[in-house]
Amino acid sequence: MHEMSLMGGVFEVIERTLSQHEVKRVLQVKLKVGELTNAEPDALDMAFEAYSKDTICEGAELIVERVPVRGRCRNCQHEFTVKTMFFLCPNCQHTAIEVIQGEELLLESLEVE
Amino acid sequence: MDHNRREIEVMANLLGSNDMQAEVNRTHFQKNHCLAINVIGSPGAGKTTLLEKTLPQLILDFQVGVIEGDIFTSKDADRIAVHEVPVIQINTGGGCHLDSRMVSKVLPEFNWQALDLMIIENVGNLVCPADFDLGEAFKIIVLSIVEGDDKPAKYPVIFRNAKAVVLNKMDLELLTDVNMESMKRDIKLINPEIEIFEVSCRNGNGLQAWTSWLSHEIEAYKKNES
Repeated sequence: MHEMSLMGGVFEVIERTLSQHEVKRVLQVKLKVGELTNAEPDALDMAFEAYSKDTICEGAELIVERVPVRGRCRNCQHEFTVKTMFFLCPNCQHTAIEVIQGEELLLESLEVE
Repeated sequence: MDHNRREIEVMANLLGSNDMQAEVNRTHFQKNHCLAINVIGSPGAGKTTLLEKTLPQLILDFQVGVIEGDIFTSKDADRIAVHEVPVIQINTGGGCHLDSRMVSKVLPEFNWQALDLMIIENVGNLVCPADFDLGEAFKIIVLSIVEGDDKPAKYPVIFRNAKAVVLNKMDLELLTDVNMESMKRDIKLINPEIEIFEVSCRNGNGLQAWTSWLSHEIEAYKKNES
């Protein structure tokens, strides 16, 4: 359940962001979570509920966008979606694959009023 | 009131504060020419036992310190202290992983002039520690083969991010249905550069190769950082 710690990070960022804006209420919080992380969307939901209670975010909708893993082959430069977490170039069978997407843990945006 | 609705674009890393502190820790280790490693594995995989078996050999050539992460107890730290190396216990109090701030708090407890290697044993867990950089030079996984040959494919994040994996309890191979070839093939497909060591902490087989590799890494690190 390290989603609680991750949510701590979400609220640190929210606090910092809101200190620069005049906001009555947060309506929606959008996260981007790479498949090559261990953050579980259901656990994030639960953590969000716990953290947002009695704050300006209470009742806001949490949207978690899962970002698929994409790799680039260091041999032939082919870019592809890594489906089973096995890093093998479908084009040339090379195994030296650079991860170019899928490791994100980001707060993308807030919808507020 | 819909006209008041607006979007604020943020694009900030959720691990920002952990990553920042991890960089501070990393600089601290570098400045002191001390290789720091983060040892990760399930409960019962043999992380502490591996340290117990490795330390007597390592301390012949190097000064070693240990940080023991544990949810509640000091059982692991007590086992390490017997080997007369400085050891500090971090109790996470229910937390499933160490983070960079917990590690930074105990760093002043060590005499850094003397240390070549800092071993950070994480809380027993193959999932959560993978997302938290502590400032280590690299991660090591301890996986006991009795956990099953499907585990690397089921926990790919940690295998993708580690430099070496120690496959422990090899003495039990014939008592289980574990398919070693399939396990090693999966590990290499997730991370082709990972080093694999097959050991038995119980009978000592394979420990020499692991210890020499680690000694080599310490020397290479000290050379690069000085």
